[in-house]
Amino acid sequence: MPFDNGISRALNSPLGRRYYRSLLEQGETNPRAEPELSSEAGEPGPQLTRRDLTALLGASLALAGLTSCGQRPREKILPYVRAPDGVKPGVPVEYATTMTLGGLGTGLIGTVQDGRPIKLDGNPEHPASLGGSGIYEQAALLGLYDPARLTGPVHEGIPSDWHSAAEAIRGCGPRAWFVLPPQSSPLAARLIEQIRLRLPWSRFVHYQPLPRHAVYAAARGTFGRVLETHYRLANARVALALDADFTASMPGSLRMARELGQRRGRNTSGSESRLYVAEAMLSPTGSLADQHLSLQSSRVPQLARAVLQQLDQLGLRGKVRGAAPSASSSTDTRIEAFARAVAGDLARARGEAVVLVGERQPRETHVLAHAINQALGSFGRTLYFAETPLLAPEGGSSLEDLAAAIAASEVDALVILEENPVFSAPPSLRLEHLLPRVPLRIHLTDVENETSRLCQWRLPLSHFLESWGDARALDGTVSYAQPLIGARHESRSSLELLALFAGREEGALELLRALHQSDAQRSEAEWEQRLQAGFAAGSAFPPIDVTLDAEAVSSAVQAVSASTHDDGALEVNFTLGKVHDGRFVNNAWLLELPHPMTKQCWGNAAVLSPATATRLGVESGDVLEIAIQDRKLAVPALILPGHADGALSLDVGYGSAGDGLGHGVGVNAYVLRTGVAEHFSVGARVERTTMRVELALTQEHFRLHGRDYVKSTSLEEYRRAKRVAPEQRSPQRTLLPTVPAAGIQWAMSIDTDICSGCSACVVACQAENNVPVVGKRGVMQSREMHWLRIDRYFEGDVNAPRVVNQPMLCQHCEKAPCEYVCPVNATVHSPDGLNEMVYNRCIGTRFCSNNCPYKVRRFNWFDYSAEPSTPLLQKNPEVTVRERGVMEKCTFCVQRVRRAEQRALAEGRPSAATEVVTACQAACPTQAIQFGSLAAADGPIRRARADGRSYAALHELGTRPRVTYLAKVRNPNPELGE
Amino acid sequence: MAQALLSNAPSDAALNRQLLSPLWSAGGRAWRWAFAITFAGTLLLLSLIGYTVWTGIGVWGNMIPVAWAFGIINFVWWIGIGHAGTFISAILYLFEQRWRASINRFAEAMTLFAVAQAALFPLLHLGRPWFGYWLFPYPSTMKIWPQVKSALPWDAAAISTYGLVSLLFWYVGLLPDLAATRDSASELWRRRAYGLFALGFRGSESGWRHYRQAYLLLAGLATPLVVSVHSIVSADFAIGLTPGWHSTLFPPYFVAGAIYSGFAMVLTLVIPLRALFRLQNVITPRHLENCAKLLLTTGLMVSYGYLIEYFLAWYSGDEYELFQYFRARPTGPGSSLWWLMLVGNVLVPQLFWVRRLRTNVAVLFVLSLVINIGMWCERFVIIVGSLQREFLVSSWADYRPSFVDLGILGGTFSFFALLFLLFVRFLPFVSASEVKELRHELEPEAP
Repeated sequence: MPFDNGISRALNSPLGRRYYRSLLEQGETNPRAEPELSSEAGEPGPQLTRRDLTALLGASLALAGLTSCGQRPREKILPYVRAPDGVKPGVPVEYATTMTLGGLGTGLIGTVQDGRPIKLDGNPEHPASLGGSGIYEQAALLGLYDPARLTGPVHEGIPSDWHSAAEAIRGCGPRAWFVLPPQSSPLAARLIEQIRLRLPWSRFVHYQPLPRHAVYAAARGTFGRVLETHYRLANARVALALDADFTASMPGSLRMARELGQRRGRNTSGSESRLYVAEAMLSPTGSLADQHLSLQSSRVPQLARAVLQQLDQLGLRGKVRGAAPSASSSTDTRIEAFARAVAGDLARARGEAVVLVGERQPRETHVLAHAINQALGSFGRTLYFAETPLLAPEGGSSLEDLAAAIAASEVDALVILEENPVFSAPPSLRLEHLLPRVPLRIHLTDVENETSRLCQWRLPLSHFLESWGDARALDGTVSYAQPLIGARHESRSSLELLALFAGREEGALELLRALHQSDAQRSEAEWEQRLQAGFAAGSAFPPIDVTLDAEAVSSAVQAVSASTHDDGALEVNFTLGKVHDGRFVNNAWLLELPHPMTKQCWGNAAVLSPATATRLGVESGDVLEIAIQDRKLAVPALILPGHADGALSLDVGYGSAGDGLGHGVGVNAYVLRTGVAEHFSVGARVERTTMRVELALTQEHFRLHGRDYVKSTSLEEYRRAKRVAPEQRSPQRTLLPTVPAAGIQWAMSIDTDICSGCSACVVACQAENNVPVVGKRGVMQSREMHWLRIDRYFEGDVNAPRVVNQPMLCQHCEKAPCEYVCPVNATVHSPDGLNEMVYNRCIGTRFCSNNCPYKVRRFNWFDYSAEPSTPLLQKNPEVTVRERGVMEKCTFCVQRVRRAEQRALAEGRPSAATEVVTACQAACPTQAIQFGSLAAADGPIRRARADGRSYAALHELGTRPRVTYLAKVRNPNPELGE
Repeated sequence: MAQALLSNAPSDAALNRQLLSPLWSAGGRAWRWAFAITFAGTLLLLSLIGYTVWTGIGVWGNMIPVAWAFGIINFVWWIGIGHAGTFISAILYLFEQRWRASINRFAEAMTLFAVAQAALFPLLHLGRPWFGYWLFPYPSTMKIWPQVKSALPWDAAAISTYGLVSLLFWYVGLLPDLAATRDSASELWRRRAYGLFALGFRGSESGWRHYRQAYLLLAGLATPLVVSVHSIVSADFAIGLTPGWHSTLFPPYFVAGAIYSGFAMVLTLVIPLRALFRLQNVITPRHLENCAKLLLTTGLMVSYGYLIEYFLAWYSGDEYELFQYFRARPTGPGSSLWWLMLVGNVLVPQLFWVRRLRTNVAVLFVLSLVINIGMWCERFVIIVGSLQREFLVSSWADYRPSFVDLGILGGTFSFFALLFLLFVRFLPFVSASEVKELRHELEPEAP
């Protein structure tokens, strides 16, 4: 009998106890000791009564139902007996924390749902964010849930534990070298001090694959001390950005983007401003430019010199104090003409002008810019100087020093924190050969990669959302990182590992508190208040007065004048793209995100201008072989109008051989570099190979073909006409009854004049709305799922095009073409003006997508939600995870709308339109996106729609979109013409 | 007088023997081979359908913006082919075109089998095919009805009506022949089986009278369907905003195209069939020539449709329409299919002005294939071509079919052929009763 064994017999026995704690207790004997199949061995089996049989039948039927209850979490789960304070199931809690990139902190607000961080946004109070966020801040969350992360310490390939690792650390020799990312953390500073006390010969390499050393070297040379330059764009009427992508990728960009946005917003109301950008690779900032000059990075110093020279001729010489540029100039006429126009404009705007330089530029450009800014009277007005928050701004010891020390066998231990130098360092250092010669090698890393494969100890790195920490923002504001979740794995943060070396037993929180309490004036209440705010108010560094060393300026001028330029030489730029320096290469959201300018996903390419492509005889997708000295790299070409001629741009960070999603995506551009400080390199040889590859591009057509659903104009023209597109906004006659509009009527307005295409909104939308990732093949098949995309168009000459970014999302048409073609009522209109998708009802005919003129609907071709790259834990519980075969699209963040309504209802008051902020709107650094009620008379939407620049895309179709755009109004310099 | 509709004027008994003989033979070697191949192709179709339903519609080449592609092209194409059958049986019957008698049976069967292929696709192309029944107005407990402003519920109604009426019409027409088969079958099981389906038809006067009334009634019912089904199918596109779809021309233009493609398919099928079963005396060159004349007529209507379509695009002055018709179609992605469409549907029918060509069986067979391809291309151009180049330039993308798309298209050919092979093996594919009747009607004309 199948039921017959000791247990069932005991259970059936009338002598058994009624209540029992375990089967063993109940059965009193170990059931395993019973011979199996005992009934067959001759013992009479128990009688199976009718009662028992029906009970068993009933139970098996009921329990069979349980098996269909879906997947249980594999981990052991425990319900709350008493819920911890502040955790209410289903109610999101927000915490302030800090993300550090390149050593500089940005204050963030993390949203936690039932103990899971599900969303990051900028901290509106924090000076480095002001509420905005970029793609890295938005996407960093996903790294927490990366399935490729190391889960525990590994020693020589064998799983180990932190106890043994600590043993190894205690036994570490005195000549320990640390390779760590740039640090601004006060705690790190304290710990490094303590390590130096314990290990006097220890050395620290503050390593960054593409460092900012030139910025500091220039300040040291010009002002005699290392300083940070802070631009105040709100005060700038004319700005010149020299190779500076200051609205998207430079430190402090969130703040600068906000200021630029506000400044440009006043363009059409009398207070005009003008932005000049000169750069090689078209950047988001470049797409905002009123006047753009595509210029090889290696020629930007010449432009700076030419501008200085022009200012000199304009009689601003006295201000530069003797730093007269030599009259001899060999700059080309294009640079000359541009410099003349820019200098005139800058001079006219004296006191309200500023020149910004990117960290990609060599020291000389920065020095020249300081001279120009001083001549323009910018100091204290449009920019100021302050102490840098970085501990070793120029890097401390260098990787070269490390390589030499290893070669000389002078390194007892090598500790690498977070970074992956074997991957990112120039190959000439031969780190992969040198590393194994160090007796003790420890790598603290999130995933196994090139460096950790050469280290005995692989220690798992905590995500910043799992650990306590601190950092200073660019302006010096001390910011705190609070963990939003307990460590998911046996991981530690860099600070905790440094503490181990410093011989400290406490955790990072205790260390931080100790540091806080070391100042007797600070109270416990202040500590809590700081954590709550995420930063210490008033801890920014004060401005510092500087005096310019004229000597430095003249030597910079001479250095630039002396440099010769071979017109035929090709320049290769190493640029920071979506995956930054490679640290986000496993991030599915960033891999899938279209590059803001090239719209390439899942990989990098050699970006080049149409003219250069013609010269080299290549087309997009042709594989090029780039050679710099003896190093070679095969990489596909990608033609981008607006890129500088005679140059290629390559995003670094791809082509990793480490674990995770980024494995083998793209090619590693670092192998072409000759030095750590190299941001570009002149004299590359490029050959076309016979190979061709298909690039994963989300937008393959950039020309408008005379279509006018994107509007842009010049300020001059706008002043004359007062309207950009009167025909694109007039009310339309219709036979259909108009929808009565009562109460809140949701609408959005997007200002394309200040949209740089930085794509923070795209990632924010993806994070908020559980938007799946489809992978490279999916993108190549044109199946990307982004609810919000940024369409980028070029106008005019392909060699000097004008760029317009048009964020495109569901337009929530009042007369929606998708609604009437749905055969099953799966897409319907809500009374408050939302075009709603009813996923449950959708059968996937895709008629709605065919009939959507904006092509914003997305279809679940496969079961994307089951992909491991977008883990379930991250999902926003307020947004349905869509199943295979249904259509989806932007909902105007309906979950936020309804939550606000419910809150208002609970509080017994009418809900206000101002309470709702969509995810894209919250992220936008320039505040280009406005959301609100069309019915609110003084609301932002009415204001935007009353603006002369307002238009509806494809207005003539009569769809009556609830999303309207504000046209781009350029303010080009008439001297430069078109 | 034109060529004879019946040559050799055999006796009733001989005609009966000749037309029912394929049912008694065990199927020749050619039939067996054809059966094996089409059976394999059908298995391929079924496995690809299984793969699609199991994995997701993503195994097709569809994407955004081309959310409809092979599935809908095949659907429209197969539905179009079905039209000739009903046209021949119903409309020509009402117009008393006697020549239809010898080809109407298998043309109706062709209709049924083509509709069967077509009916696969509206279901298969759904993201969640298991909820396909939501397209029908069934009494749902949720009280949700189909959204009748959309053309898709119209489609569901039109196609199911058409399928049902075609089946009935075909079956009613079969009754006298089923009875004749029953009476001449030698084995008991055949007598039983055919007897069951013959519904007790005995050839009595009242039986014939009722039969004729029923047949006439169904012919009357089927006639508007010839026009309505493809009109409604065309509404799937015409109600859309998409440049290339948004046109009031579509219903007549689609109906003409459907009949055109249907007659091409009739020729494609009948030419090998009459050779294989030696039916040259029953399906005479006159029949083929008549089909060719109809191809010329409908071909001219289709060409006129194109002309007006392009004229309307030009006359609208709409930049999106102009781009779609005059830039994207002749030069854009898939433009080779546009040229093929013009060859198949505009140039090829002009050849039928020449009598020598339209009476040459080999030429007719080859041209009928070209027309079939041309009509498939037309649907590709309308559906995929329009979606590839819509309003927003940023969303333009080029369509590429997947191997599943090609496999399913090939699989429906096999399945269609398989059904046809079974049909010619088990049912009289030329209506014996009507041919006999025709013989009697023709007798007075004979010298």
